Amino acid sequence: MSRGFRDVLSRLTDAGELLHVPKAVDPRHLSALMAQAPQATFFEQIAGYPDWRAVGALVSTRRRLALAMGCAEDAVATRFEQGIRRPIEPCVVERAPCQEVVWTGDEVDLTRLPIPMMHVKDGGPYISATLVVSKDPEYGRNVGSYRMMYRTPTETGIDLVSSSDMRVYYQRALDQGRPLEIAVAIGVHPFELLAASYKAPIAEDEFAVAGGLHGAPVELVRCRTVDLEVPAHAELVLEGELLPIGWTADEGPFGEFSHITGEVKWNPIFRVRAITHRRDPIFYVLQMPWENDWLAAPVIEAAGLQALRIASVEPVAIRAPVGGCCYWTLVASIKKRPGEGMNALLALLSVAEVKLAIVTDDDIDIYDPDQLDWAMTFRVQADQDVLIVQKARGKHIDPSVRAGMLGKGGLATTAKLGIDATIPEGVPRSHYERLRYFAKDAVRLEDYR
Amino acid sequence: MSPLAQALMAELSGHPRHFGELVEAHMDTSWRDFLRAWGEVRAADVLARDDAGRYLLRAGVTTV
Repeated sequence: MSRGFRDVLSRLTDAGELLHVPKAVDPRHLSALMAQAPQATFFEQIAGYPDWRAVGALVSTRRRLALAMGCAEDAVATRFEQGIRRPIEPCVVERAPCQEVVWTGDEVDLTRLPIPMMHVKDGGPYISATLVVSKDPEYGRNVGSYRMMYRTPTETGIDLVSSSDMRVYYQRALDQGRPLEIAVAIGVHPFELLAASYKAPIAEDEFAVAGGLHGAPVELVRCRTVDLEVPAHAELVLEGELLPIGWTADEGPFGEFSHITGEVKWNPIFRVRAITHRRDPIFYVLQMPWENDWLAAPVIEAAGLQALRIASVEPVAIRAPVGGCCYWTLVASIKKRPGEGMNALLALLSVAEVKLAIVTDDDIDIYDPDQLDWAMTFRVQADQDVLIVQKARGKHIDPSVRAGMLGKGGLATTAKLGIDATIPEGVPRSHYERLRYFAKDAVRLEDYR
Repeated sequence: MSPLAQALMAELSGHPRHFGELVEAHMDTSWRDFLRAWGEVRAADVLARDDAGRYLLRAGVTTV
């Protein structure tokens, strides 16, 4: 049996990484309070929503992500790789916790959910921790994650601007003048969210990828009002359809994963037909920005490892630092042969929108910023060890690409920077021999206290 | 339209506001009541957006 959302809460509790807040909290204050907590935060009472509890910032650090994934902090990429290599098909169960309570018809009312107010300039309250399931007659099931902005008790906006499989599905439905049914599961295991953010080939089932990560089939249940399946152990499910109106409804701004407020976008509308949930539901708030950044880390790091191997470079460690939003920057250490510092940079800079890559030798702990600075200081000559690539594909939410100067619909390009911080060819490795203290192993400080 | 929804519309007439500014002005109202009223304004299809993402009433829309 695959593990569920509540198993993650238990793991975090056992590790001292889940702070319980006993007093009732207004949904307008959830994000601000979470931002002040060093741990993930569990709100035991929500003011005005007596049946609900809320939790968030579950994987806002590498440590908590690793706890959720059941691996070491420096192994999230390899753990992810292992999972996606061994997909396991999901299974369908008849009864599910996520359908213990079912609201349909006049009972459907999004204001019954403690949807939080997150950032100062958001266009509305947002449902951020979504796992959105859709289906196409030809391509089959797709699972992705899309933010949803409250509009009315039965409607939300949904950000479907970026290219995605579900965007393709929606366009195909739109071309036929029909709505696209979707189901939105909230409060699922991070493995499901990781699988959703993984750019699987269009015909590949993300639930099978999630099963590979779990090492067991994900249990699904059929929805009540749409022809879709959702994780049986979800806390909450919204069922409904994307209206065939195209990209015509205002949505946003929202605090983007770049830590910057985005712009108003034009998007479809999601009309909710049914709401199902557990009897004692927990509303999951994916706390922007760090939490969704960390969910990208294993995916982008695994892509970096794969790119290095394809380039015949042997990686030792890889890290997508959170300062680069776990997306724009990759740092890797390698077992280097002559010329492979540059080969590694070329490989890493080919990954998605990575715009800064740093490569070191395997004697550098890339998780230690001091060691990384040291390598970049003493192993780099700026006129010889730096690579700049121009006019590569960029992302418009990076302000430095000057997207505002593009015409409407113009696609952003970016320059990319690579820094080869490996020992330069021709410089003997002995020149980098570290200082060692005399008699270091012969004496112990505690013997003198 | 509820009195609160009418009040929200009145606040938007002539003064573009971020959603957060509207929320801040009504912190004494329960979140659920506020969202219901906001839903009424949304459903009335009277809103426009400016470049900063603020809400305003569409040209020609008048408040009671």
